[in-house]
Amino acid sequence: MTFLVIGIDAATWKIIKPNINELKNFRRLMKIGRYKTLILNEKPISASAWCSIFSGKTPEEHKHKAFVENGNLKTRDDIKVDFIWDILHKQNYDVRALNIPFVIPPYNFNCKFKPVGYGLPETPDEWQEELEKVTSKAIEILEEKPDLLCVVYSLLDRIQHFHWNEPIVLEWYKRIDSVIGKLILYADKFIIISDHGFCDRDDAEVQTLPEKTPRGEIKGDHDKEAILITNIDYDIEKLQDVFYAIMEEMKNGQGNYGNGI
Amino acid sequence: MEEKEKKFTSVSIPVPLFEKIKKRINGTGFTSVSDYVTFVLREILAEEEEDEGEEPFTKEDEEKVKERLRALGYLD
Repeated sequence: MTFLVIGIDAATWKIIKPNINELKNFRRLMKIGRYKTLILNEKPISASAWCSIFSGKTPEEHKHKAFVENGNLKTRDDIKVDFIWDILHKQNYDVRALNIPFVIPPYNFNCKFKPVGYGLPETPDEWQEELEKVTSKAIEILEEKPDLLCVVYSLLDRIQHFHWNEPIVLEWYKRIDSVIGKLILYADKFIIISDHGFCDRDDAEVQTLPEKTPRGEIKGDHDKEAILITNIDYDIEKLQDVFYAIMEEMKNGQGNYGNGI
Repeated sequence: MEEKEKKFTSVSIPVPLFEKIKKRINGTGFTSVSDYVTFVLREILAEEEEDEGEEPFTKEDEEKVKERLRALGYLD
């Protein structure tokens, strides 16, 4: 059995629900599983949120707030927590993590992957490249039937910052929908989650970026409404619950998940 | 979703080594020699992936990341 966690940075129901008939995989998975809005208790900042999701710790506990602190890039070693992959690996599960953007460049565990544009894809070509490269690597891993794969796509966040309220946003949701359809074929259990939602810049919970950037005007920013779709029973109410949901599922699925002890 | 069975196969190891491992795992969390051997091999493969995998992250790389962060507005 493989448990697949697909992270989609900045995915929001504001785009998915009104366009559900054009997003057939989202629609299918929402139908066979359960879906809800996760209201964040913390500031909707990606570095911190992905860290919470995969460590089960609150920002006060993991103390990881941003990609850069005091002008220095934060690295995995700066964050003094064990992630789900660290813990399950020690318990003899076959666990992989691919392109997890709690640090820049994104973090990988038990797999070799060079992220596109250091995990900060800027142009349509790079967005497409990230989509293709992450998907292709994820499929390569899934064919090895690991117990758990956690994989994150970061491109929607960049696209929405610069193109919020433009038709191009839905176009990229359709592409994400298509790759979800490919990955999910390999999964028995799944969680699809975003680290925060998205909205007009003026309505945003936090302005993560200035209004004008060298890459253009910022039109949208983060809100506290993340998406969740899953076919597991564990009641996920907040970001940190994803960690506990995975632990619980592995424990209950003992004997089904690889060589877990 | 497809049902994907986890497959296992046998690997031969010398009997004295098997016996040595059997003694070593006594009283640990490992319930069989196979579990222990699987764990050790995964550790080795993970280390190798780490060594071969990521190219060293140089000062130049760090500057390129910061340039991208500036372009996207994350850094002043």
